[in-house]
Amino acid sequence: MAVDPCAKCEEVLQPYLDRELSDAEMMEAEAHLELCSYCRKRYRFEVNLRRYVRQAAAEEMPPQLKEKLSALRTPLL
Amino acid sequence: MSEITPETDARRLATESRDRVRFEEEALELSDQVYRVARHLAGSREEAEDLMQEAYARAFRSWRSFTPGTNLRAWLLRILTNLNIDRGRKKQRTPDTQPLEEGDYFLYNKLEESNGPAQDEERVVERLSQDDVVSALSAVPHDFRDVVVLVDIGDFTYADAAQILDIPIGTVMSRLHRGRRILKRELAEEAVGATDGR
Repeated sequence: MAVDPCAKCEEVLQPYLDRELSDAEMMEAEAHLELCSYCRKRYRFEVNLRRYVRQAAAEEMPPQLKEKLSALRTPLL
Repeated sequence: MSEITPETDARRLATESRDRVRFEEEALELSDQVYRVARHLAGSREEAEDLMQEAYARAFRSWRSFTPGTNLRAWLLRILTNLNIDRGRKKQRTPDTQPLEEGDYFLYNKLEESNGPAQDEERVVERLSQDDVVSALSAVPHDFRDVVVLVDIGDFTYADAAQILDIPIGTVMSRLHRGRRILKRELAEEAVGATDGR
């Protein structure tokens, strides 16, 4: 049975973006992405999603917590 | 052989006190970055605050075990994740079955299915709200979430994450891979109400 190239591309999405693929696998994925807009859209989405998750998850530390942490310091003699 | 005199003893104490003050200052300077990760390792804001205080109290007590010149942020997070794992394991038993996971295109496909194809696919991600991301992250089981949070939010390398969590690097990679898939399934659930196994 022939391997579905889009299924294969989906399988390597994460290692591709993490730069964990071998050169040969990288070239294979890029050749497919060049031709396939279905996979290309999903790869671009993943790049944006990772950036968005990082941004959306960024929460400032409450200032009163910072004060509490400072208060835990060893008192100077 | 050096002789311990009141002067050398005083000098030693002064050096130690200076090193400790420097350590505490550096640890506090990193607290914003540590909190950003802690916030999502813990289940809630309140838990994250407790965890930060407990971790910093322990770090200040055991400052001598930190090796200067190594990664202080990773050292602090190792203390924090250990405390969090102790708490988490007490409260949440690891489920008997591993969570179901979808493929990596699952979220995009669900968003496209529910809203129709986007004119500009770069904007598809904007269909997710900040709250969706925060709730989806908190729904990912501990073992997977720890790795996703350290690598994708804390920006730690696989090697750092392996050291912080005291697990092999191969386990970091497989948990990260599955954790991101689980996160996407949870995001689909938050954003379009997709259910398991569909």
